[in-house]
Amino acid sequence: MEGIRKLTAVAKIKWICISKNTMIMLGPVLTIALVYGCKILYGENTGGELPPPLMAMILCIGISTNICGDGFVMVGTAIAEEKEKHTLRVLMTSSITGWQYFFGSIALPFLLTVVINVIVLYISGVSLSYVSMPVFLFVSVIASLISCVIGMIVGICAKNQMNANLIAYPFMMVFMMVPMFGNMSETLHKLSGFLFTGVVVEMTNCFANNTPYVIRPLDMAVLIGELAISVLVFLLLYKRNGYEKD
Amino acid sequence: MEQNALLKLSHISKRYKTELALKDISITLRKGEILGFLGPSGAGKTTTIKIITGQLRQTAGEAKILGTDSANIDASIYEKIGVVSDNSGIYEKMTVWQNLSCFANIWRVPDERIEEVLKQVGLTEHKKKLAGKLSKGQKQRLVLARSVLHKPRILFLDEPTSGLDPSTAVAIHKMLLDLRKEGMAIFLTTHNMEEAEKLCDHVALLYQGNIVEFGTPQEICLKYNREKRYHLLLNGSKEELVLEQNPENAEKISEWMRKDMILCLHSCEPTLESVFLEVTGASLAP
Repeated sequence: MEGIRKLTAVAKIKWICISKNTMIMLGPVLTIALVYGCKILYGENTGGELPPPLMAMILCIGISTNICGDGFVMVGTAIAEEKEKHTLRVLMTSSITGWQYFFGSIALPFLLTVVINVIVLYISGVSLSYVSMPVFLFVSVIASLISCVIGMIVGICAKNQMNANLIAYPFMMVFMMVPMFGNMSETLHKLSGFLFTGVVVEMTNCFANNTPYVIRPLDMAVLIGELAISVLVFLLLYKRNGYEKD
Repeated sequence: MEQNALLKLSHISKRYKTELALKDISITLRKGEILGFLGPSGAGKTTTIKIITGQLRQTAGEAKILGTDSANIDASIYEKIGVVSDNSGIYEKMTVWQNLSCFANIWRVPDERIEEVLKQVGLTEHKKKLAGKLSKGQKQRLVLARSVLHKPRILFLDEPTSGLDPSTAVAIHKMLLDLRKEGMAIFLTTHNMEEAEKLCDHVALLYQGNIVEFGTPQEICLKYNREKRYHLLLNGSKEELVLEQNPENAEKISEWMRKDMILCLHSCEPTLESVFLEVTGASLAP
């Protein structure tokens, strides 16, 4: 109970900091605006009815932007801001453990990422009758979790907010762009199959094309494997220097 | 550990690669006592605090805090101690109240206590203000308020008045003396010798990782008061006289006193700064 109380206290601090950081909060708002805007614009050009490939593209853009852009940046930049303002050390010398800080830091960004994914699904215009909600939520939850852990890795490595954005950029390029452009090149498509965001895009393509999506063993292995790898990398970095190198 | 000793360092050393930052440091801090660590920047003051509070591991020696070896302490120790480092930050986008309320949640402190510390540091009327809008002195008072919110048994202060205006420094000094009265033990690092003389029960002069002198400020100053001299200003004279202590001068002073000729009379014992200078050949200035 004591641990949960402290974790909640950290989550509250994080939420106040994130909600008051315009740079961070702009991400989720822009994601929704982007999907809505694309739907309206493409809808006008196609007489109101979006063809499945366009719908798939809109959904793919929305969910990839949310998972990569928002997940990595929200968590990573928030930790970097704490380092920059010298509040991280204060928090760590106030009886908060490393694990309480970890879960407190990712709790709300994780929830927000999952919620935005659901909103994006609803506003994209995809027919929900072909969407298996439990499967969508499962993949969305795992992908959001991986993205938040990668955000923690970004935060641990960054010295300040600018630095966090710089470190997050290569992660975004790989995890966002490779699946997005997977249809344009066979190599990118193959590579995308081994990325957690590739699994997400594969799922959204099926939903947009009105075909049922079933998680294949490889998809499951990619999701669970990349979650395990990201947690492992985080642990290795944390063991070496803690959240902040002295 | 002896009774009332809340902190005990025994033969602590710290080596950073090739540089020896602390050499054989031994001190004890008791309940209701202010212990000053006095030394220039780089003397090892912050390193000492970091070792005691478990943020750094010593190379040799033993540090016991509240009866526990600092090598074995976990995060729960911070429920019993308060730490103010030289760059303790505040959440600038939160209000003063929110800044304290967040930590009150962590330490399970009631809202009444927040009101109490706000009053103690004189920030009650600013409690709804964004912390980022406070002046430097007010921010430092907020940091102090946060560090004593959970009524810690030991308070570690690293240069708490560095760069503050004199009136804020005086307000902080008063607060520290009040906390001492309440039984809190305070470990204070500073390079301000006036602050140390005013506040500290015991002072350790630290130089290049060594404690070069230890005692009460008065003991240390008197120990180095080898040439006992007096400064005098007499009626009608513009120049101050400096007289050594001997029977002849005692007669003179006595005579001037009888004739009511003395405007002012001061003994010339050394200050902590001059003692430091004599012992190390270096200045206390940062």
